[in-house]
Amino acid sequence: MIHRQVAIVGVGQTPFVRNGSRTAWDLALDASLAALEDAGIPASDVDGLVRYALPTEYVSIPMMQRSLGIRELRYYTEAPLGGEATSAVVNHAVAAIASGQSSVVLIWRALNQSMGVRFGRADQRQPLVEGQEDIVVPEDGENRSFTWPYGQMSPAHIFGLWARRYAYDNGMSDADLTRALGTIAIQQRTYANNNPGAVFYQRSLSWDEYEHARWISKPIRLFDMCLENDGACALVLVAADVARSLRADPVYVLSVTQFLGAYKEPMGLYGADLMEWMSPSAVERLYSEARVSPTDVDVAELYDATSFMTLKSLETYRLAPTGRAWREVIDHGTSLEARVPVNTHGGFLSEGYIHGMSTITEAVRQLRGTACNQVRDASVALCGASFGSAMLLGR
Amino acid sequence: MKLIPGVTPLTEAYWEGARRGELLIQRCETCLSSWHPPLPRCPTCHGAVVAWVPVSGRGRVYTYTVVYHATHVAMKDRVPYISALIQLEEGPRVLTNLVNCLEQDVSVDMPVRVVFERLTEDITLPQFEPDR
Repeated sequence: MIHRQVAIVGVGQTPFVRNGSRTAWDLALDASLAALEDAGIPASDVDGLVRYALPTEYVSIPMMQRSLGIRELRYYTEAPLGGEATSAVVNHAVAAIASGQSSVVLIWRALNQSMGVRFGRADQRQPLVEGQEDIVVPEDGENRSFTWPYGQMSPAHIFGLWARRYAYDNGMSDADLTRALGTIAIQQRTYANNNPGAVFYQRSLSWDEYEHARWISKPIRLFDMCLENDGACALVLVAADVARSLRADPVYVLSVTQFLGAYKEPMGLYGADLMEWMSPSAVERLYSEARVSPTDVDVAELYDATSFMTLKSLETYRLAPTGRAWREVIDHGTSLEARVPVNTHGGFLSEGYIHGMSTITEAVRQLRGTACNQVRDASVALCGASFGSAMLLGR
Repeated sequence: MKLIPGVTPLTEAYWEGARRGELLIQRCETCLSSWHPPLPRCPTCHGAVVAWVPVSGRGRVYTYTVVYHATHVAMKDRVPYISALIQLEEGPRVLTNLVNCLEQDVSVDMPVRVVFERLTEDITLPQFEPDR
């Protein structure tokens, strides 16, 4: 049990921008140096590095080691998948520190979608030749040869399938679905309007703009989608006793859980229960190891590739009864007035997208009491990356 | 421009079946469970004797989405198109487009049947249409 053995003592985050010109390496260093400064730890003391294994994480472990001037790296690893690994990278750091294999672990995620691959463009993952007639979609172990030829190739498309089924299962009209998803999108925009680092800082979103925006993959509209941007986030973790010597407000890892559903890919189409994004036993483990219950969660930072993901995650993490999150959202919203405020930074829809790392930096700010949209007296925060990992943080 | 499924030794039989006008699904000859997409072994009993068996080609729409925004240059002249997950009568689900079907006529649980779209000499794509 890792309960309160390891703490986050440093967070760093660049502003999120579109059409930026800085490289991912430069952004990663900005965020990492900010996190180390926040922790009060010199870069040369880092002895553990953990990163995402995504092909779009350009900054390798050796690149980070040499640019930080780390003298002796004792532990390094990376986590597969994409945003599903948000808490998995933390889990690796926690395991390394709790087992004594590392004393200061740095985690980062940096993105430059302006110059690199845009995640919304499926055709940027494979080089195209001018005048090319046909494109062969290789079977890659992720069933792409069974989905891409049908134009099922981007996250928006799968969220369209999920949202439609959710509405059917719960007897919702199209107007109900619009109301629920729009409430989330507009609330997250409202939060971002108050966040100077957000892409949509000071740019509001009205119901009229939301509803009349173009369809992406019906029932998903433009403003139900997360952003494509440049930016970076970083975290510094140490053992709890070291954390207390560094600062008065360490944020402890109460529990961190990795999981993968049976017979399905992380963002899968073929699992027996399309709507089970995390097994009930994994949710149980998440809360019991943290020694808290869903009613103790003061703020939830939920992975939101789309507004529908926020909605469904409320049920996944038992913050709303199964099949009722849409009703709760329509009736009570997700603002600071709600029982559990959600995505208080603006989320990926309105602050920026960085494969989940911003859910953790925001949870840390909430628990320190330094967030732009501060939840009063927040002491337990949930970071959820459906399909792969989740964690609970506490003061 | 068309997107053509790549074929591997594991998936070859599926595409050969489609070329003959048959929708094939893997079935374990030991425990008789079936699944899709293909796997090297039975995920239930790990039996290595796996057969490709034809299915009825009938099923129901489990869920669908209407794609308006093409994210691939090969799809830009095809939007809007319907992408759907079909629950086959035999159990497994397959992803498809719904063809010969208007957006306003689709609904979850609607009965559908397989039809075949010839893409190239070698590759035929199973598709589904309303089963009226």
